Amino acid sequence: MEFGWSTEQEVYRLRVRSFIESTLPGDWWENYALGMGSDEQLAFSLIFCQALAKDGLLVPQWPKEYGGLDGNPWQQFILSEEMWSWNEPRGAQYMGVNWIGPALMRFGSEDQKREHLTRIASGNVTWSQGFSEPQAGTDLASLQTRAERTNNGYKINGMKIWTSYARRADWIFLLARTGPERKSISCFLVPMDLPGVSIASFPGLVEDGHLNEVYFDDVEVPETALLGEESRGWDVIRYALNQERVGLPRYHWARQTLDVAVQQLKDEGKFSDPVVRAAAGRIVAKCEAARVLTYLVVQQRITGEETVDPNVQRVTAADACLDLMNFLIEYTPDCLAGGHRMLENFYRAQIASTIAAGTYELQLDLIAQRGLGLPRVN
Amino acid sequence: MNLEFTADQRALLEGVQAIVQDHLAPPAESRRGRFHYSESLESDLLRNGFLDAIRTPGMGALEAVLVIEEVSRSASIVEVGASALVAPSLLSEVLQRPIVLASGDLSKPQRYLPLAKSMIYDAGESVLVFEVDPENVKTIDSIYAYPIGRFRHVPTLSAGRKIGGPELVRKLRLWWRVAIAAECAGSMRSAVDFVVEYTKQRKLFKTTIASFQAVQHRLAHAHRVARGVRFLVLKAAWSCDPFDADQAACFAQQYISPLVFDLHQFNGGMGVTNENLLHFWTYRLRALQPEVGGANTAALETADELWGKAV
Repeated sequence: MEFGWSTEQEVYRLRVRSFIESTLPGDWWENYALGMGSDEQLAFSLIFCQALAKDGLLVPQWPKEYGGLDGNPWQQFILSEEMWSWNEPRGAQYMGVNWIGPALMRFGSEDQKREHLTRIASGNVTWSQGFSEPQAGTDLASLQTRAERTNNGYKINGMKIWTSYARRADWIFLLARTGPERKSISCFLVPMDLPGVSIASFPGLVEDGHLNEVYFDDVEVPETALLGEESRGWDVIRYALNQERVGLPRYHWARQTLDVAVQQLKDEGKFSDPVVRAAAGRIVAKCEAARVLTYLVVQQRITGEETVDPNVQRVTAADACLDLMNFLIEYTPDCLAGGHRMLENFYRAQIASTIAAGTYELQLDLIAQRGLGLPRVN
Repeated sequence: MNLEFTADQRALLEGVQAIVQDHLAPPAESRRGRFHYSESLESDLLRNGFLDAIRTPGMGALEAVLVIEEVSRSASIVEVGASALVAPSLLSEVLQRPIVLASGDLSKPQRYLPLAKSMIYDAGESVLVFEVDPENVKTIDSIYAYPIGRFRHVPTLSAGRKIGGPELVRKLRLWWRVAIAAECAGSMRSAVDFVVEYTKQRKLFKTTIASFQAVQHRLAHAHRVARGVRFLVLKAAWSCDPFDADQAACFAQQYISPLVFDLHQFNGGMGVTNENLLHFWTYRLRALQPEVGGANTAALETADELWGKAV
């Protein structure tokens, strides 16, 4: 058992860090990192990802035949950890890299691979994820968007919600119902500029522009838009989500945000209070627990071990972030009222973190039922 | 980074597990007691050299932690944290065991004192070793699942043998915290497993307790806490870094209270009966909760380390 990084991994981390520091603009935190999905961040992500691709840092974990370097999951993880330290400058493109690309490699036709993988690997395409609907979030199988067979392909009708990046996306990875059974769901690769696709943004607690609805009104797509077999979309989703099971290293961002909050408190002369200091120290312990559990999940991905540790890791990271959000509200309240952009940004970005991509409660269900063998609850 | 156990570590674990398996529950006559100190488990561990794993070439603190954690899975106890990890990490001589770890006011009750042969004492600026005279120890009936005792006549510091200064004090606190977290990891795992099985059997309102989502979620939390403690303590044992030890102890100790509360709630018996095994683990955890200052002290030391001392 070895908890340290190898020299090769340390060098790789320094290389990634150095790339980020030299590529991000000096006013990154003030004017770009305004929340996941801001116009500024998404526009910059295209420049950033193309530069990453040129340096071999966009898809190093992909196989060489698809433009990667045959890297290992640790490289992917180190890259992700460093990116999260900077509020994910890859913007939406982390999705293409982490799970849309691998899903295409596994289930895509040769034409689909040719069309999409090169673009993802070169960093000049933005994808959005068309999963959630107003009545289908955690219970994804109840989605209502429908794709009906036509002579030439499919006609899609329905709507998606919470579609981050939709306003800037070139493509959407869309789930739609193609049969009468509950799990008769298929995956489609749909250009966002097709007739009948429209987008409406709505305001929320996160930065404006982040929350979108995407409408599909008689959108015609060719048969070649289908990814995998018709009504076997769950196979694709399961595989894709499995690629993402390492999760996002939120604890890394939380630790950095905590450092910033502490500096703010020091500047205000409020960090000598042992109550505040102990609260900050306790958050560190939770972040470090989330970190070591994330490393465990990466390890399990390498060895192919199936456990509930990805769910354990997600709940642990969420608890650390929730504690930090409370810490910010309690001890730096002015910072969330226009007083400190980075702290406010962290808070806003975390609001949905216990709902998006599988709710906190769903993670607990999975730990209880798959990990502890407790009965399924209806 | 490689979080797989080596072949030697797996062999060590399997060896300890095989022994602990035979001593998972105390004998029937001891089950209603507050604790059961298992001399037979202790003797098996000693005979097979597991309490000396740290002194074996090629092994170290991480292997000692594996031993502590596995031994702590038993409802019976053996003094293992100080003997298998703390003492050998501080000095090369082998102290007579069981060993008490103590700090601060020596008139206070101490874990393991009624059985102890030696005591390692954190005197603030130095570490002292004492031989314990059994005639000078009064056993105390306590709620905790350890033998607890007080000195009849509090030893003076001059009766102790100084084995090191401030640097050794830091080392003592590091390994003491690792030992606490390792005991917590094993005790938490067993307590959670025990209650999970109970909730699968026990029916309430015509269904098993386990079928309520409110129960499932809290058990899931207990499981994930135990998992977090386990890997934090393994990391601390690997790194020998006081920062990592602080994180392991702080994480473990801050979750003891909610974990013990939930497990007793689900195990019923008004939370006060001792007709089953749960209290053997939970009241071990409760005793460990405030040790070396508890979660707050570890958190404050983390703050000092990361952001400088308070001004």
